[in-house]
Amino acid sequence: MTERSNSKSNYSRRDALRLMAIGGAAGLIAPNLLGRPAFAQNPPASPTGRIVVGLSQEPTVFNPLMPHIEVDDAVHFSLFDALFRMDPKGVLQPNLAVEVPSQDNGGISEDGLAWRIRLRDDVRWHDGEPFTAADVKFTLELITNPEFRAWRTAGHSLVRDIKVVSPTELTWRMEEAFAPYLSFLAETFMVPKHILEKEADPNAAAFNQAPVGTGAFKWAQRVAGDHIELVANADYVGEGPYLERLVFKYIPDMTVLYTQFKSGDIDLVDQAFITADHYAEASKLPDRVVMLERGASVESIYLNLEKPQFKDPAVRQALYAAMDRKAILEAIYYGVHTPTETFMPQNSYYYNPNLPAQEFNIERARQILDEAGWVPEADGIRVKDGVRLSFANSTTSGNHLREQTQQFLQQTFAEIGVEMTISNLPAAVMWGDFWLKSQFESAISGVTNVIAGDPDVSNRLHTKAIVAKGGKGSNTGQYSNPEVDALLEKGARTFDREQRRAIYLRVQEIVRQDLPFLPLFAYTNVFGHKEGLEGFEANSNTRVASWHAAVWHWKD
Amino acid sequence: MRGFLLNRLSQSLILLLIVSVIGFLVLNLLPGGPLAQFGLDPGMTQDDLDRLKEQLGLNRPLLMQYLDWAWRLLQGDWGHSFRDGAPVLAVIGRHVLATLLLMGTSTAIAIAIGTWIGIRGATHRYSLFDHLATVGAMVALSIPTFWFGLVGIYIFSLQLGWLPAGNMYTIGDGSVLNYLHHLILPSVVLSLVHVAIWSRYMRTATLDAISQDFVKTARAKGLSERRVIMKHVVGNALLPMITLAGVQLPSILTGALVTETVFTWPGMGRLFLDSLGYSDYPVVMGLLMFSAILVILGNLIADIAVAIVDPRIRLG
Amino acid sequence: MTALAANAGPSRWWRSRTVRRFTSHHLALLGVAMITLLTLACVFGPHLLPYDSLYIDLRARFSPPLTGDHYLGTDPLGRDVAARLFMAGRTSLLVAFFAMLLSTLIGTLVGVIAGYRGGWIGAALMRTVDGFLSFPSIFLLLALAAALKPSPAMVTVIVAVTSWMEVARIVEAEVRSLREREFVLAGRMLGLSGAHIMFREILPNAMGPIIVAATLTVAHAILLEAYISFLGYGIQPPLPSWGNMLEGAQQYLDSAPWLAIIPGAAITMAVTSFNFIGDGLRDALDVRDDRV
Repeated sequence: MTERSNSKSNYSRRDALRLMAIGGAAGLIAPNLLGRPAFAQNPPASPTGRIVVGLSQEPTVFNPLMPHIEVDDAVHFSLFDALFRMDPKGVLQPNLAVEVPSQDNGGISEDGLAWRIRLRDDVRWHDGEPFTAADVKFTLELITNPEFRAWRTAGHSLVRDIKVVSPTELTWRMEEAFAPYLSFLAETFMVPKHILEKEADPNAAAFNQAPVGTGAFKWAQRVAGDHIELVANADYVGEGPYLERLVFKYIPDMTVLYTQFKSGDIDLVDQAFITADHYAEASKLPDRVVMLERGASVESIYLNLEKPQFKDPAVRQALYAAMDRKAILEAIYYGVHTPTETFMPQNSYYYNPNLPAQEFNIERARQILDEAGWVPEADGIRVKDGVRLSFANSTTSGNHLREQTQQFLQQTFAEIGVEMTISNLPAAVMWGDFWLKSQFESAISGVTNVIAGDPDVSNRLHTKAIVAKGGKGSNTGQYSNPEVDALLEKGARTFDREQRRAIYLRVQEIVRQDLPFLPLFAYTNVFGHKEGLEGFEANSNTRVASWHAAVWHWKD
Repeated sequence: MRGFLLNRLSQSLILLLIVSVIGFLVLNLLPGGPLAQFGLDPGMTQDDLDRLKEQLGLNRPLLMQYLDWAWRLLQGDWGHSFRDGAPVLAVIGRHVLATLLLMGTSTAIAIAIGTWIGIRGATHRYSLFDHLATVGAMVALSIPTFWFGLVGIYIFSLQLGWLPAGNMYTIGDGSVLNYLHHLILPSVVLSLVHVAIWSRYMRTATLDAISQDFVKTARAKGLSERRVIMKHVVGNALLPMITLAGVQLPSILTGALVTETVFTWPGMGRLFLDSLGYSDYPVVMGLLMFSAILVILGNLIADIAVAIVDPRIRLG
Repeated sequence: MTALAANAGPSRWWRSRTVRRFTSHHLALLGVAMITLLTLACVFGPHLLPYDSLYIDLRARFSPPLTGDHYLGTDPLGRDVAARLFMAGRTSLLVAFFAMLLSTLIGTLVGVIAGYRGGWIGAALMRTVDGFLSFPSIFLLLALAAALKPSPAMVTVIVAVTSWMEVARIVEAEVRSLREREFVLAGRMLGLSGAHIMFREILPNAMGPIIVAATLTVAHAILLEAYISFLGYGIQPPLPSWGNMLEGAQQYLDSAPWLAIIPGAAITMAVTSFNFIGDGLRDALDVRDDRV
C-alpha cells in the first residue's frame, strides 16, 4: 500500500464517521460538518486578529525539553520548531531540517547507525540570532545532561559523537539501530544554545519562564492560573503566521470549557476537547464547526496478568465476551467513540483492521468459564483451584463516565459469576507506583501507545518493560510473550515502512488473541471551533489540536 | 504586653513546626507523588522517572528532605514549584489578588447585610424579622456551598443567561464592568455563609451592648433610640466584630476554595487543589505555612481585640 | 459515691427542665420532625419503591421526575433517583452518625486529659489541636482519602479525624473551669485516681456542651462526607451516598438539573435539622457556646 492510497482510505473512513455522526443526530443540518474548509483560501497578507484556544489543564512548562503534559505541547508547537513535523497522515515532513534523513537519501547509513541532518540556513531565533547546527547539538546534549531534568530520554540516550560539520549540517552515531528515533525527533523541540549555555542551572533558567524559540509565535505574557498570550513572529520562515495573537486559556472544568465555547468566549477547543455527552448539542450550535476526529488513545480494561484470577486465558476471554461495548459506547459515551480490537490508533498506517471482532454474548462467556472449570460457589461467584473470580477495578476518581462504565460492567460481570468491586483513586495516586509498579488488580485507562505516530510499542508490551519485574518501561499489565518480544525488537531495528507494517500487524494479531487487556473503544476526539476560523486540521499523531496554529486565520 | 507577645511568638513557632512536620509527613507518605502525572506518558521510561526522582531529591531520607526544606525556609527560600519551576512565593503571589478580590467583595457584602440584619434583629428581638433572620442564618449555614453554587449557575447562567458561569473576566475585555459581571455570582454565593455568620455575631454583640449600663444611662439621658443604637451600641458591638474578622482571616485561603472550584476562579484555593492534585510539594507546603501564619495572625488580632474590649482580660 | 449523691437529686430536676425547654423550642422540634421523617423515609422508602437503587436500565436513563414510576426521575445509568436517594441517605446518615461518635470520643478524650492535666501535656495536646485546625480541612480530607481505601468505614474515620478538634476545644475549656470545683477537690482528697476523677466526676458535668457539640458535628459530618464524595474521593459507587450522587451532576446541570437539585436538597434538609436540634439543645442545656 502506498502512502497516497493509505491517506485516501483514512479520509474516506473519517468521512464515513462524520456521515454516521450526522445520521445519529436527528434533524442535523450538514453544512457545518461537511464544510471543512479547503486549504489555501486567502489568508491575510499580514498577521491580524486573535484566536483564543481553550485548554482544560494549565500549561506551566515552557522549556519543551523538561517534563510536561499534553497541554504544554499546545504552547510548544507554536513557540518552537523541531527538525521534522509529523503530518496528519503520519508522514514526517522537514521543519528545521531541509530533508527527512532516510537510508534512501543517505541521511541514515544502511546499518542504521550513522545519521546526518541537513538544516535550513535562513532560520532565526525570536531574538534575532541565527539558528545553526550548534543549537541542535546543544539541545540533544542537554537532554542527556545528568544535571538537567529532561523529559523523555528514550532514543536520545543512544546518540553518540555529535559533530557539527557546518552551521547547516551535523552528524552523529547511534549506539544501536533505533528506527522510532526519527519520530521522537518530531517531538524534540530545539532550544537556543546562546541563551541556555550561559545559565548555571538550566533547570531554573529565566528562559523556562520566558521562552525563546524559532516558531511561528513569540512569547508575550502569562497570567498564571488563567492564560498565556503569544504574538506573531513576523520573521517566521515557514507558512504563516496569519494571526496577530494566539491565546491559550486555561479552564479547569470540562463543562465550563464547553460552556465557554458555546458562549463564544473561546474560539477553539483543545485538550481535553468537547466531552462526548456535549457532542450532540454542540453539533447543532449555530456558527460553530464541530467535528469528530479519530484520536490515538485506546480505552481499555488493563488486567494485572500476575494476579491468579487473570492467568487463565479463559477468564480474559469470558470477561471480554461479557462486555456490552455497544451499550457502553452508545449510552454512556453517546456513540462518539469507536469500537476497536487493538492498541494501534485506527488512523495509523500500521493499524490492523482484520482482527476478529468482539461479540457480546453472556451465554458464551458463561460457557467459556464452565469449560475452563470455574464453578460457581453458593454466593454465585466462580472459583477454581481456590481462586475466587473476584477483583477490584480502579481508575481516576471523579471521572464519572468511567465510573458509569464500571458500574455497568459490574452488573454484567455479576451475571456470569464474576465479582468486580470498584476502588478508585485520585489521579496522583492512581498513576503513580500503583499503576507503574503493577499494584492494581484491574484498571480502566485511556492509553496512547504510540509516540508521534511511530508504531513501536516495546515500552508497553515487551517483557523487559515490566517494572514490577525489574524492567524499564510501562508494561503495567505484565504481559509477556516471547514471540511478541522478538517481533518488537525486530520492528525497532527496521527502517523500511512496509517491513515494519508486516511486523506490527502480526503483533496486533497475537495480542488480540492473548487479550492482555480488554479494549473498550478507540477515542474519537470532538473538535470544535468557530465558523470562519480557517486552516485548522486535526492531527492524531500529536497530542493537541494546536499543533499547527501557524496556518490558522480568520475568514475576512 | 511584652511577655504576652513573647509567649505568643514562641507558641506560634511551635505551631508552625507542628504544621510543617504533619504537612510534610502527610504529603510525602501519600502514595503517588509528583511524577504520577507522567505515569501514562507513552515515551517516559522507568529510567526517566527514577532519574527525575533523583534530580528532584525525592529519594533522600524523609528527615533529610524535611530538614533541607526547613533550613532553606529559615533563610527565606520557599523553594520552587515542581510544575513550572517558579519560586513558590511568586506562584502564590500570582493567585493572591484573585482571591482577595473575591473574598473582599463577599466580605463587604456580608458585613453590610450581616451587620444590618444583626442590629435589626437585636433591636427588634423576637420580632418576625428576628425569627426569620435566625432561621435563615441556620439554613444558610446548612447549605453545601458547592451545591448552592451549582444551583446559582443553573438559574442565573443556564436558565436566565444573565451571569457568566465561571472565570474572572472575558479575555480581551479587562474592563471593570466585565470583572464585576463575573464577580456577582461567586461573591453572592460565597457571602451567603458569611452573611449568616456576621448577622448572628452582630446580633449577639448588639444584645450584649444593649444590656450594658452606659446604654441604659444614655437612654435615661433622653437620647433618641436611634442615636443610642448608632452611637453607643454599634460602636461597642463593632470591636467584637474585629475578633470575628480575626478568626475568619485564615479563610482567605480556604474559605473561597469550594467557590473558586465551582466558578473556575483563578485564586489560591484552586491553586491549592491543583497543587495537591499534581503533588507539587513545595507549593502545597508553602500554602500550608501561609495558612498557618494566617491562623496565628487571626488569633492574635482576635485576642487583642477581646483584651481591648474587655479590660478584665489582661494579656499575658 | 459522692458523685452519685451529688448528681442524683438535681439530675431529675435538670432533666425535666431541659426537656421542657427543649420542647418549647419550635425550631428544635421542627428539626426533630424533619430528621425523623427523613430517617423513616430512608429506612422504609426503598422497600416501598418499585425499583432497586442499583438496577441499571440504560433505556430509561435521564428520565425527568414523575416519569412513570420514577417519582424523582433517573440518573445517567437509568437508576431510580428516589430509590438511590433513600439508600444514599442510609449511607450518609450512618457515616455522619458514626463519624460524630468517633470524633466526639477523640475530642472528649483529648479535651478532658488536656483540661484536667494541664501543664505540658495539656499544652502539647492543645497545640496539636491548633495544628490540626490550621490545616485547610480539605487538605487532611484529600490526603487521608488518597492514603486509605475509601470504604464507608474509612470515610467515617476520615470525617472523624478532620472534625474532632472543635469538641476537644470545647471540652478542654469546660474541664479547665470544672477542675478547681469543690467536688473535684473532694475527689482528690479522697485519693481517687486521675482517670476516675476525669471520667466519673468531671465528664458527667461537662455532658451539656459535649451533647451540643456532638449534634452540630453530625451536621458538619454530613457536609464533609458530601463534599469528599462529590469530589470522587469518598463513598465509592455503586453504593450511593448523597455526596456521590452529586458527583458529575455539574456535567448534566443543563440537561438533567434534578440530578443536582434533589440530593442537595436532601443534604440541606438533614443538615438544617441537626443545626436546629443543636440550637435547641444549646438553649435547653444552658450551654454558652461562642460558635455561631
